[in-house]
Amino acid sequence: MKFQIPIGPQHPALKEPIGLRITVEGEIIRDADLRLGYNHRGIEKLAESKTWVQNIYLTERICGICSHSHTTCYVQGVEKLMELQPPKRGLYIRTLVAELERIHSHLLWLGVAGHEAGFDSFFMYIWRDREIVMDILEIISGNRVHYGINTIGGVRRDLDALQVKRTLDSLDTLRKRSEYYKHLGTNEPSFVARLARVGYLSREEAISLCAVGPTLRASGVPMDVRKDDPYAVYDEVPFEVCTADTCDVLGRTVVRIKELFQSYNIIEYLLKNLPAGEIAVKAPRRARPGEVVSRYEAPRGENIHYIKSNGTDKPERLKVRAPTLGNYAATIKMLKNGFIADVPLIFAAIDPCICCAERAAAIVNARTGEEKIVPMDILRQTSQRTSPNKDEKREAEWPL
Amino acid sequence: MNDQFLIEKAKERLKDKVLSLTNPAPRRIFLGVSVENLLEAVNWLKKDMGFTHLSTISGVDLGQSFEILYHFANNACSLTIRTEIPRETPQLPSICELTPGAVLYERELQDMFGIAVQNIPDSRPLLLPDGWPAGNYPLRKDWKYERPPEVIPGGKK
Repeated sequence: MKFQIPIGPQHPALKEPIGLRITVEGEIIRDADLRLGYNHRGIEKLAESKTWVQNIYLTERICGICSHSHTTCYVQGVEKLMELQPPKRGLYIRTLVAELERIHSHLLWLGVAGHEAGFDSFFMYIWRDREIVMDILEIISGNRVHYGINTIGGVRRDLDALQVKRTLDSLDTLRKRSEYYKHLGTNEPSFVARLARVGYLSREEAISLCAVGPTLRASGVPMDVRKDDPYAVYDEVPFEVCTADTCDVLGRTVVRIKELFQSYNIIEYLLKNLPAGEIAVKAPRRARPGEVVSRYEAPRGENIHYIKSNGTDKPERLKVRAPTLGNYAATIKMLKNGFIADVPLIFAAIDPCICCAERAAAIVNARTGEEKIVPMDILRQTSQRTSPNKDEKREAEWPL
Repeated sequence: MNDQFLIEKAKERLKDKVLSLTNPAPRRIFLGVSVENLLEAVNWLKKDMGFTHLSTISGVDLGQSFEILYHFANNACSLTIRTEIPRETPQLPSICELTPGAVLYERELQDMFGIAVQNIPDSRPLLLPDGWPAGNYPLRKDWKYERPPEVIPGGKK
């Protein structure tokens, strides 16, 4: 017997509104369907009525975690349209903030993964250390979430020697602790057993469903925009593309932990080789007519902006594709034929209460031990007979 | 595989079906084809050239027509196939058979531009709410958003 269970869009366990409807047969998910649009804000339409500079701050508000990803992707596209070459120091600072953002996002994800796997001390330790990165970001940009550091032609804030020293000092702490988490995350038997072979996505499926980011790399596809299509200063910074071949949640965890260490190395390289000079060049108010495809490797995967200019001070079209949308098709594939209990892990940030939605169809008489299978409609009738439809209590009055 | 190699291959394989071919920046190629030859171009790109990753599909309202851009990528280059369809009969073939991951982007096109994608495996709205009035396509240039008058419940009469 198949049941459809709706999860969301308003659900105590969901952090953000999304509608997930899963069809289950017993414990096994046979089909899954996503309903999006509860958070659609019409940003692409709004961007057409804002100037180039205003749109930096608009794109920053697309996401609260990868805010820098969207501004960088937008800004470097606009710089191409305006034929600007930002100074080296500006690009170094931009990349530095990008990598710090990657660290804070990956630590956040790791904590959530620990929480969903029932390993809450992992979650608390990691989120404590995420504060170190948030503090560095605050020291550098003045803000914890929306850094507001990008501008067309460079960055808005310079680094001084004290900021560089503090960042390098914090990196040592982070490195030591991440070593410990790496050991824990890949060796703790119950944690590994919970993550392994959950949410399987084969290499071929990952490619054909156009998955991006750590999801794709955990299926053994070495695709990273930083390497394939280097932007900012990634062509001169040494780093490796991290992959895993287990194709499951464990692989995605391993990829993210490996990327943390790559990010630490990149930051150390950037700070030790920080060139002197200006941080930004002056940008014109208008851009020449033209179009540009700008790609960026956000913590969650490839982020792409298509920007078309018509010669005025406003864009003709700004198309944004955030990495999560690219991964939805693959998520549905991962959920199919898995267990209900794995939904939170696969969906990571979503923590739905599914067991309460399940109904038993077998009734055991407690006195005699007799067992009988009752169809759902009979069960429903029985419940209506035992507690007939009373008038709903309407004591509470709507305040407005 | 560099840009020049791809441009030559495209000319060799698609011949006069290529309407435009530009290379405005390193690792960026824009290839224009007519809508009848779209599937052939996508097929060539995917099977012969290894562009398995579709980044997204963008739509642009040009006034008399819609421009649809398919942003493909592989490890060496980002290639965009561009095609144009008339505004009166906005119809587009689905590329989901070749690239299953395209379904969400095609649904978005239907929502936002009112383009009928033929043979799409799933044609429900993606982003717009259930009660959205028919014939309203937000990203068309002639569609303007009018903010409804603000009513404070229980507030000023």
